[in-house]
Amino acid sequence: MIVRNVLGRSSTQARASWFSLFGMTWSVAWLLLPLVFLTSFTWAQTSLPPRQSGYELMSPATRAMQDDEALNPATFWILDGQTLWNESAGKKNVACAQCHGDAATTMKGVSASFPKMVNGKLLNLQGQINMCRQTKQESSAFQLESKPLLSLETYIGHVSKGMPITVERTAENAEPLEAGRLLFEQRLGQLNLSCAQCHAERAGLKLGGNVIPEAHPTGYPIYRLEWQTVGSLQRRLRNCMTGVRAEPYALGSDELVQLELFLMWRARGMPIETPGVRP
Amino acid sequence: MSKTSRVVVSMPKTAKKGEIIPIRVIVQHDMESGFRHTERGVLVPRDIIRDFVCTYDGVDVFRAELHPAVGANPTFSFFTVATQSAMLEFKWSGDNGYASSLTSQLVVT
Repeated sequence: MIVRNVLGRSSTQARASWFSLFGMTWSVAWLLLPLVFLTSFTWAQTSLPPRQSGYELMSPATRAMQDDEALNPATFWILDGQTLWNESAGKKNVACAQCHGDAATTMKGVSASFPKMVNGKLLNLQGQINMCRQTKQESSAFQLESKPLLSLETYIGHVSKGMPITVERTAENAEPLEAGRLLFEQRLGQLNLSCAQCHAERAGLKLGGNVIPEAHPTGYPIYRLEWQTVGSLQRRLRNCMTGVRAEPYALGSDELVQLELFLMWRARGMPIETPGVRP
Repeated sequence: MSKTSRVVVSMPKTAKKGEIIPIRVIVQHDMESGFRHTERGVLVPRDIIRDFVCTYDGVDVFRAELHPAVGANPTFSFFTVATQSAMLEFKWSGDNGYASSLTSQLVVT
């Protein structure tokens, strides 16, 4: 029987990582075994385990950059997004603001609830923006990872800063959520590694000189210093896939949205940091 | 054709005479180094900010030359002494006729 804890790893894997953490001997470990089963079971039943945002692994300078609006370069994407929000577009010549009003109040908490099922289809926030754009404004969809789309996403995301992620398992999203979990645990690429092997089983250990983060998508879209620009969660996921030498799923593919859903569900309750800065 | 972009300046609105005031500026710019190639191997031409200057009542208090190794959205943090109530002017200029500017009033008591 496999008992899964809430972080999406099986309890056998979880035990293995605890061993290395405390340097326990096998005999002591066997004595504690029932306890481990019990705790992971009650965890899943009651509250969520403590989780760590990648923010906590950053240098004080990079944290200051994220916290201070006057230093965070993503501020420019927020300002651009605000302009787009109020700009009429498409055949219907309407702006987002004409239906949704002031985003600072109406969009509060919205980004914390995506990806979600909309008319039977799983959409992330970008998908929702493009759907609105095509159906309500009768305009063309923004190209994925384009500056205007990222600007709008950052603008809508930042009004939820500090609010907890509210993605829950429902009857409707159960299927894509499970698909996302399977993708998280699926070994990929020439290095034959799954997301879970690094970001669940070995989170907190080192890869090269860096601490492996738990991979909670709390700050997206992020300004990544390596990119020198703002990018989406999907861009980041594709980076990791290239990193394990797999062919990454296409931007906007069902697989990436399912993975996004699983990651957001895994990070439920954690506060939104948008716009995050990462090294 | 001239280009411009957004800038954000953070500095105190008021200061006591003789006080050292912190000023932080950030400007929106991709700072394309001119060393990168497209996927098809074509060189992307250089497009960077070359010069930043801050004047306080017409006097230069901070000036910087920027080069291709400077990252995108360059930020500067510096200090000046509040001498008198005056206008601070921030100016950026660069390749392809790029120019941005912002003025901010400082009241010295």
